[in-house]
Amino acid sequence: MPRLSRPRAVLLWVVLALGALAMFFPFWWTVVTSLTSGAGLSSTPAIVPADPSWAGYAELFRRTPFARVVLNSAGLAVTTVVVQIVTSSLAAYVFARIEFPGRQVVFTAYLVTMMIPMQVLLVPLFVQMKTWGLVDTYLGVLLPGVASVFGIFLLRQAMSTVPRELDEAATIDGAGHLRIFGMVVMPLVRPAVATFAVFSFMSSWNSFLWPLVILRSAELKTLPLALASLVGQYSTRWDVLMAGSVVSVLPMLALYLVAQRHIIQGIAGTGLK
Amino acid sequence: MSRAPRVAAALVTASALALAGCSGSASSGASSSSDGKVTITYSNFISNGGNEANLTKIVDAFEAANPDITVKVTTLPYADYFTALQTDLAGGTAADVFDMEYAGYAALQSSGVLAPLDGVDGAAYKPSLLDAYQTDGTQYALPSSFSTVVLFYNKALFDAAGVSYPTSSWTWADEKAAAEKLTNASAGVWGDYQPISYYEFYKAVAQAGGSFLSKDGKKAAFNDAAGKAAAQWLVGKSGTVMPTTEQGAGTADFDKNLFTAGKLAMWHSGSWMFGVVGQQPFGWDVAVEPGDTTKASALFSNAVGVSATSAHKEAAQKWAQFLTSSPTTVSVRLDAGWELPPTSDESALASYLTKGTPANRQAVFDSLDAVALAPSIGDNQTKMQDVVSEKLTEAAAGRLTVQQALDQAETEVNALLG
Amino acid sequence: MTALAAPAATLERTAAPRGRRRRYPWPVIIGFLAPSAVPLVLFVYIPMVRAGWISLHKWNLISPMTWVGLRNYTDLLADPSTRAAFGHTLEYVAGYLPLVLIGGLALALALNQPLRGRTALRGIYFLPVITSWIAVALVWRWLLNPSVGVVNQVLGALGIDGPGWWADPAWAMPSVIIASAWKDLGFVMVILLAGLQSIGEDVVEAAVLDGAGSWRRLWSITIPLLSPSIFFVVVISLINGFQVFDQVYAMTGGGPAGSSEVVVQQVYDLTFHYAHAGQGAALSWMLFVVILAITVVQMWGQRRWVHDA
Repeated sequence: MPRLSRPRAVLLWVVLALGALAMFFPFWWTVVTSLTSGAGLSSTPAIVPADPSWAGYAELFRRTPFARVVLNSAGLAVTTVVVQIVTSSLAAYVFARIEFPGRQVVFTAYLVTMMIPMQVLLVPLFVQMKTWGLVDTYLGVLLPGVASVFGIFLLRQAMSTVPRELDEAATIDGAGHLRIFGMVVMPLVRPAVATFAVFSFMSSWNSFLWPLVILRSAELKTLPLALASLVGQYSTRWDVLMAGSVVSVLPMLALYLVAQRHIIQGIAGTGLK
Repeated sequence: MSRAPRVAAALVTASALALAGCSGSASSGASSSSDGKVTITYSNFISNGGNEANLTKIVDAFEAANPDITVKVTTLPYADYFTALQTDLAGGTAADVFDMEYAGYAALQSSGVLAPLDGVDGAAYKPSLLDAYQTDGTQYALPSSFSTVVLFYNKALFDAAGVSYPTSSWTWADEKAAAEKLTNASAGVWGDYQPISYYEFYKAVAQAGGSFLSKDGKKAAFNDAAGKAAAQWLVGKSGTVMPTTEQGAGTADFDKNLFTAGKLAMWHSGSWMFGVVGQQPFGWDVAVEPGDTTKASALFSNAVGVSATSAHKEAAQKWAQFLTSSPTTVSVRLDAGWELPPTSDESALASYLTKGTPANRQAVFDSLDAVALAPSIGDNQTKMQDVVSEKLTEAAAGRLTVQQALDQAETEVNALLG
Repeated sequence: MTALAAPAATLERTAAPRGRRRRYPWPVIIGFLAPSAVPLVLFVYIPMVRAGWISLHKWNLISPMTWVGLRNYTDLLADPSTRAAFGHTLEYVAGYLPLVLIGGLALALALNQPLRGRTALRGIYFLPVITSWIAVALVWRWLLNPSVGVVNQVLGALGIDGPGWWADPAWAMPSVIIASAWKDLGFVMVILLAGLQSIGEDVVEAAVLDGAGSWRRLWSITIPLLSPSIFFVVVISLINGFQVFDQVYAMTGGGPAGSSEVVVQQVYDLTFHYAHAGQGAALSWMLFVVILAITVVQMWGQRRWVHDA
């Protein structure tokens, strides 16, 4: 990217910083609320908590088996990410790099699966899992989401920008598709893979409706299920709920910051440009 | 866009298979081992949000008394419980024993998912509550708790405004006059709060001497003088003596927050809130809800049923009976300030009266003298409730007149009944 | 590869070698696709077909189903609330899509500049994406509170009489759109940033040498090169936009007076609250057809503007 002139860069920076402040504010309010003990939520919170209290966090750890649910969620999310990257990148490679009759139709058939609301698949999918004896198992949670059309699509778009000359050169060197996939294309789409890893983790980490119906045993439950149980029938400790959502954001934020470094290195590391 | 990378599919990898190894125990319902021991499952919402340990106490006592039965408990939040229950019923994986609300009983019963319960010791239950879960003379579910709606009031605000405390002889007129005196907009103090909803409306109709449904239950009967008075009574409070949704910032429990913040003088709410509100510096008490031409109070009750597909109906029924009527349950519920047990044992309930704030706990039982039972119409129950609540809310917002709201609600409810 | 060769290689669509007969590597195609295709069939297509079967029945989820043919569809088509729900959903998409697209693109371009604190800024703009609606919806109701909310206070200070936001039927959907755009801006930004990474600096610098102005550079170099990512964002945002549910459920619950009720919310209510699982399934199929039609048009239209193989 061409460098901006200095006054323009400063102006841009100021605009971005102000925007960031606006973006950050709603999140800051959830933090403030998580530190505001007890009642008083009938009015809007202060910008800075007058009397910050960690009671919401203490209550959160008291009311939920926190270590257990975090471990469950993390295990499921990591498994999902690994499996989805494998299945999605293989399929994406075919859609991006191999010409074959009916490719567009097959790809559309893939996209179609994103267009039906999950809410309506819930019951048929559940009945299917029941006949396979997968109710109340981790496998039952994982199976419907082991690959992702979102990921296939994202990686396909990234792979289609990789110059064709590279595969052709590799083909002349005698490389098969598996080697071109693994040694040529995958290293070049690392930014997209890192991006996808973030979203894949996020969707598994946040998923609620499917785990809700498929999991029974308390020891298998995930973080979003535990957080939902903080919402009471008659009243809710909002500080506890907000504490829960603040805490559950942290792993995803960490993952994003790590992935972001990969996104940059993905380019620097190829030595192509 | 949290749902972006959504359900797709894939290869079953070694890691996924490994995870399957550490799954929980069998999903659906009961399992029995060779030594005659059975495990039954119980799915509930009643213990979520603070009473989990109290439920465990009851389970422990049951298992001690029945060493050959183990109860496996699944607890879900109220908001999600019914989605999970319906998916389970559709998939045939319902727990052996599961919770329900009175409003949902008719639909469950008519769908044939509840096992008939024979040989229940009816003497242990309050007859009116037990009867509510009978159809054609057969018991299909057992009441597990009950609550009534009463009028909460903030003593300090009444004292400051020089208004005398509510009594059981109050009428709407008394409440209205007091609410107007107690409302002090500049101090952010409101005189009254009563949700504008189906549950308040059907009861107010009864208080005004009318009836929500016709006698045969086939038509809406609320579009008459009594119904109009009831709608006017609720709608008229909004924005005058009672905050509108926007003035209350709009969380589901803002009325509770307003009351505990000492900014609400009178509040129509249930006895389930006693423990939630607890001790407050301003001092508070309760009274039987005021009526109009007559008294009528709302009675809420939860119940448990035994699944018709349960493989261990006998054990399941044993647990259902223990959970709803055992002395352990009665004492655990009373000690914890949980919703009241449906016991017929008045002497056991007597200890409830002396459990502290609010002092006038007798009002909970006095309310039972004139109960307006909520209409229960089966499959279209939720839709009917939503329609009535929405039309009244529209009237409160000034987008419909009270008469228009009633006309529209009547048409839609009749369509649901027909 | 020289600097100047790069845009040429990517911009001119590489023509598939015609003339000589191609032999397709079917074992590779099938082998690479199977790990995703088989589960897609099992866990989406089969349940979808079952949902289609359910849509031809009257079913409350618990009693046995009764066949009603197409009556669920005709009932829904005759019901004004169905049309209203589709209308609100369309309103959502029409408001939401331009906001996140233009905003996300501007943000990605800006945060691709070598600015001080860029990593932190990107992190902050991404933060809303990972927060949960259950917490954020409450905060947005505070911000957009008609009488005491921060937004209306700021507007008031500027001499503007703020609207009724979520308490007003006319403004409920715009409220949801604003909150959604706030939350998803970072999503679009991240996708486009990743796309920008694969455009070499040399490409753009070559254009600078050509003396192209910055706007022309944006339109004739950057956006075409970024078009695969933009296309992706458009397709995904449309598919997800038509299935909007969580934020509506958490912020307005579909109100006031059903003014923000969307299609998927009706699907959920019909299935799990109103004991009309058959109608819920029928409505899902109707929504599916609409999304499919729009996506097919997009796939067909992409040839005109998306530069990929």
